[in-house]
Amino acid sequence: MDFKDYYKILGVETTADKKAIKTAYRKLARKFHPDVSDHHEAEDKFKEVTEAYEVLKNPEKRAEFDDIRQYGRHGEQFEAPPGWRPSQGFSDRDAAQHQGNMSDFFSSIFGAEGHGSHEGYENQQGFNRRGQDIETDLPILLEETLGDSTKTIAYKLPHYDLKGLSNEINKTLNVKIPGGVREGERIRLKGQGAPGIGSGVSGDLYLRIRLIPHPLFDVEGHNLILTVPLSPWEAALGLKITMPTLSGKIQLSIPANSQTGQRLRIKGKGLNRKDGQGDLYAVLKVVMPTSTNDTIKEHWEQLKTAAAFDPREEWSKP
Amino acid sequence: MATLTAFQFRLEDLCHATALPADIIIEIVEQGIVDPIGDAPDNWAFNTQMITITKKAFRLHNDLEIDWPGTALAISLIDELELLRAKNLQLQRRLDRFSQENSEAITQEKQQTIRGDDDE
Repeated sequence: MDFKDYYKILGVETTADKKAIKTAYRKLARKFHPDVSDHHEAEDKFKEVTEAYEVLKNPEKRAEFDDIRQYGRHGEQFEAPPGWRPSQGFSDRDAAQHQGNMSDFFSSIFGAEGHGSHEGYENQQGFNRRGQDIETDLPILLEETLGDSTKTIAYKLPHYDLKGLSNEINKTLNVKIPGGVREGERIRLKGQGAPGIGSGVSGDLYLRIRLIPHPLFDVEGHNLILTVPLSPWEAALGLKITMPTLSGKIQLSIPANSQTGQRLRIKGKGLNRKDGQGDLYAVLKVVMPTSTNDTIKEHWEQLKTAAAFDPREEWSKP
Repeated sequence: MATLTAFQFRLEDLCHATALPADIIIEIVEQGIVDPIGDAPDNWAFNTQMITITKKAFRLHNDLEIDWPGTALAISLIDELELLRAKNLQLQRRLDRFSQENSEAITQEKQQTIRGDDDE
């Protein structure tokens, strides 16, 4: 178990007063709140900051922490000194509320006895608590959103043994994903979250849909975009191409004199949504051949003379 | 399918799913943070997305000590931020399809210009 220096975590001096500690906490809480921050460790950081504030805002806990602080250094291995007795100032109800949110370091100082003990809660005038909700990302392929699909998901459930120490249980579930799901949408699976305490019911599992970026297609609302590379002569003369869609190949006519960036709409080949069927847009992109030779160069020279085209005409306007 | 958009949760169900008392949910609705179908708490109906928004609103209100109007503002700003982040990512992906191959050529072009300046 690592030692946590709560002063360091909040970035305050050991002499900081209550007000300075509160301000430091509020700043960091806003910065790392998992609902606000896109920092990849936001949730852990937020928990750490909350834990630090929990201790430092309370004069008794702070005094206890100051005592223990002389035995450890931030981030280094830590064992409570021999004979250390966790304080009694932390009720079981507090412990239950913080269950799963406080570190082992915290429990070792402020008491893990009864911290998460299922027996203890059951005996305590029937203290019951609903299990935690679990939220996890569910990456799915664009192809899979076209109709209903079934996916096997694996996730971890927090679990507390009789001593209140946490470990995790791996769980797998088969989930039916309805067709037409969107990025960020959530599917709720009732009772599949963490088990409750006492006679408290289990929490729920929320699956947050994440569309896996497709190598070819981009998503824009319920429409899809496919970039179609064309050679300069294909763009100039037009042609019929075979192009992929999410559901098989189709023929597409490219008109003569097409431009880079031009969009061609293929009706009904986009994503399938509850509020309607999207379209597929082919966006043209003229690309130059990678190799050249004297004959090709000669043809370009002829073209230059014949076309007399100034693409930067706008620039020469007064 | 129906399950995602269906307004299938009554106020009581939402209290249960979020582990929040009714008066807090009523406050969240009155602030316009979630907008159930129905004109009175007795006949309100919520959908799955509203459960997650309600939970998020309460977390922000509670963890960051924001009052309810401030929470409503934070929720709508976070929504907008998420929308813009997603849009930005999407545009970046579009842009990459057109410009990634060109970046090397531009660098070479620059080097040539610099070398040209040195010659003078």
